[in-house]
Amino acid sequence: MSIVTVQLGQCGNQIGFEVFDALFSDSHCPQGLCSKRENEAYQASCKERFFSEEENGVPIARAVLVDMEPKVINQTLSKAAHSGRWNYGQHSCFCQKQGSGNNWAYGYSVHGPRHEESIMNLIQKEVEKCDSLNGFFIIMSMAGGTGSGLGAFATQNLQDQYSNSLKMNQIIWPYGTGEVIVQNYNSILTLSHLYRSSDALLVHENDAVHKICAKLMNIKQISFRDINQVLAHQLGSVFQPTYSEEGSFHYRRNPLGDLMENLVPHPEFKMLGVRNIPQMSENSLAYSTFTWAGLLKHLRQMLISNAKMEEGIDWQVRPPLSGLPTRGKMSLNKEFHFNTSIANLVILRGKDVHSAELGAFKDPALYTSWLEPVHAFSVWKTQRAFSKYEKSAALVSNSQFLVKPLDTIVGKAWNMFASKAYIHQYTKFGIEEEDFLDSFTLLEQVIASYCNLGF
Amino acid sequence: MGRRRRRRRVDPADATRALPEAIAALSQTLPAGPSPETFRRAKFDRPEAAPALWRLLFRVLSPQLADGASASFSPEAQVRSVKLALRTQGYPRRALAQLPDDGSQGGRELLLALAWLLARGPLPERLLTQNRVQLGDEMPVCECEALASPGPPAPSVEADGCVDIRHLQWLMGKLRFRWRNLMASQQEQCALLGKIHSYTRGCHSDRSLGHLSVTETELLRDPEGGRQLLRRLERENARLQAALEWRRRELVFWRWMDTVLGACPPEASQPTFLPRIPTPGTGALEPLVRELQALQGELREAVEARRVAWEAGVGGRGPEWSAARTALREAVGQDLAALRQACERGGSCSLAQPHGPHRLVRTEAGAPGGPGLRAPEVIEALRSQEARLEVVLRQLQGQCRQELARLVGAPPGPVWILPPGR
Repeated sequence: MSIVTVQLGQCGNQIGFEVFDALFSDSHCPQGLCSKRENEAYQASCKERFFSEEENGVPIARAVLVDMEPKVINQTLSKAAHSGRWNYGQHSCFCQKQGSGNNWAYGYSVHGPRHEESIMNLIQKEVEKCDSLNGFFIIMSMAGGTGSGLGAFATQNLQDQYSNSLKMNQIIWPYGTGEVIVQNYNSILTLSHLYRSSDALLVHENDAVHKICAKLMNIKQISFRDINQVLAHQLGSVFQPTYSEEGSFHYRRNPLGDLMENLVPHPEFKMLGVRNIPQMSENSLAYSTFTWAGLLKHLRQMLISNAKMEEGIDWQVRPPLSGLPTRGKMSLNKEFHFNTSIANLVILRGKDVHSAELGAFKDPALYTSWLEPVHAFSVWKTQRAFSKYEKSAALVSNSQFLVKPLDTIVGKAWNMFASKAYIHQYTKFGIEEEDFLDSFTLLEQVIASYCNLGF
Repeated sequence: MGRRRRRRRVDPADATRALPEAIAALSQTLPAGPSPETFRRAKFDRPEAAPALWRLLFRVLSPQLADGASASFSPEAQVRSVKLALRTQGYPRRALAQLPDDGSQGGRELLLALAWLLARGPLPERLLTQNRVQLGDEMPVCECEALASPGPPAPSVEADGCVDIRHLQWLMGKLRFRWRNLMASQQEQCALLGKIHSYTRGCHSDRSLGHLSVTETELLRDPEGGRQLLRRLERENARLQAALEWRRRELVFWRWMDTVLGACPPEASQPTFLPRIPTPGTGALEPLVRELQALQGELREAVEARRVAWEAGVGGRGPEWSAARTALREAVGQDLAALRQACERGGSCSLAQPHGPHRLVRTEAGAPGGPGLRAPEVIEALRSQEARLEVVLRQLQGQCRQELARLVGAPPGPVWILPPGR
């Protein structure tokens, strides 16, 4: 089954390119560490999922590129064409001549309806190329102008037109100290709208990825390209093919559906975070070996302590002991240190993957009280190594990862809102104070629900 | 008369063989059929016979389960499932419901239950039809069969104490996703079937079919698959032979079942179970029946009166009149048939063709196609059924809403939203 990707705005298009590039490079990587037949099955599965075939044999990414200004799209298209290995479709992009000035309301209320038909037509064409549609990726930033406002509108349209298809939004969480003054307004509006029309929100935090580039990859001058490449690596390690079930060697046909069924069936809990291990520069990779036990131990601690990467993990954080009477006392600790999960998905790729021991992830103490580990934890595996990493593990988690960042953004936005700063920019284009209040209410509810997981 | 009608004297040795052979034939046509010896032990209510018969009844009552799937049901679950299924079908003997759930007893009662099921309808033939080897790509065209056999009940989970509502919401959401995933899988299957059918156009020896099915394609690709298919067909043949044998010999079995019934202790005069009929209570039916009968009587009288009047008006004329009359009769007959069909369309299944799965055959656009249903017909029937079900769903949702409003009581008052204080 195929996934159609909608790349929105500068952010979405730049990241989208890196994602397709990473997927393609990995699927053609010679060091798969598996048999030829297995490698071919992996390639075929990846290709069917993300690329379609053109007459001259060059795979075409199943993607629609949308932006309100032509610069980034043109760059993206030429980068893809230059690589010679894969390309975007000739008629898969939509762009206009002017930007939207980081104005969420303009993107949502003006650009959206104005260009709705053209954009949905493009998407329809891409969907028709698929034998069967698994669902949509929508890559967008949360806080910019085009990506966020238009993205929220586009996701709503997808919900209306393709109500039975699955939709996952890849959201780029802005830097805490971002340059856009109204980024918090944009963020809360985007999140609240997406919560209503999307099935899952997979969040990538710029701050976290930036740290990974600095500490783990040892990059001195970190460019957006570096960040996007790490992000693409994370996504690839989640969505490249995996076996459909324990003991099978057939590749999973419906990764989006399986992921969503296991992680986001509850309508109040849709926020997912992703972690992966190991992550390092290619030079260091040649000199490192790993054991599954070591990798999984670190990954588990990353989960529990809400660490963003494998360095600097706080090993003091422990799951609470069950049966303690004074839950109240624990709660303070829990709220700020221990990360309670609702559901987790671990994806393992590489050598001896069947020998990996995952018992520690099935500890009931990791999970909220109303869901048992047997229902809350799932694992995907494949022997085929990912992107030259002999062993790699990724974690997609529906947990309290994002409570603090979300709370921070809502708090800042509320403070601005209380003094009505910059509101006229939004009311000018039809986003009323009511809409802001609705967004605050929804997000407060989400924060409260996630906080109450510990009880 | 006389010598022609020499009666064959029944050889006693034949007689003793006849019963085990009849039971063996029956056993072979049924899935998981036990040996004749087990049947004999069951008549005398020997405990070792009970587990095999519970298994047999389980397989017979839930035929849509594949061979492997029934193993995932524990013996207790199988026993409970059998009891529930028999009750739903209206099985009258209470003794069976009182048998222990561990499946250790009850051979004789189970025999009686089996005989009851066999007597109600062509059970072996029905099971054989449902599990037959399919060469073509088949799909059901209506829901009737699926609705008729509701399947094994899901194992009920005991909720001890309170249930966290978040868990329920989680489960509901999971169910919704699974439904969507199922839809997506079905669409994928259709797309791929379409591809196979169009790629193998012209390959089939049967011109009316024109293309290969998945099974046939696999046959060509993989000789081992062909051998397995052959073995399955041979097994099916053996079961069909056994079914024929059974029909020839079943009288002996029924005579024996009389003795089994005789061997039972007399049942205390307890009221038998009322079969659960999912229709409005019998109280509502009586006046309806009377009304219908009265209406029918009125119609008959009116028709008679009109016919007499017409005949008087028209009068009996010559041969041309009788020809015209025949033509009239035919036209009326056709109108009646159309009317009947239109009435049936209001029912749950409006297809004229037989129910059950049909083989998918892809034809060229504009080509006449062979016998059987056309896809547009089936789509039309399914769409109208979907519309009917939507109406029912909306009605039910409205009822639920009213019920909830009643439970909640007063209309909603103001909702206070506290500002996010930190």
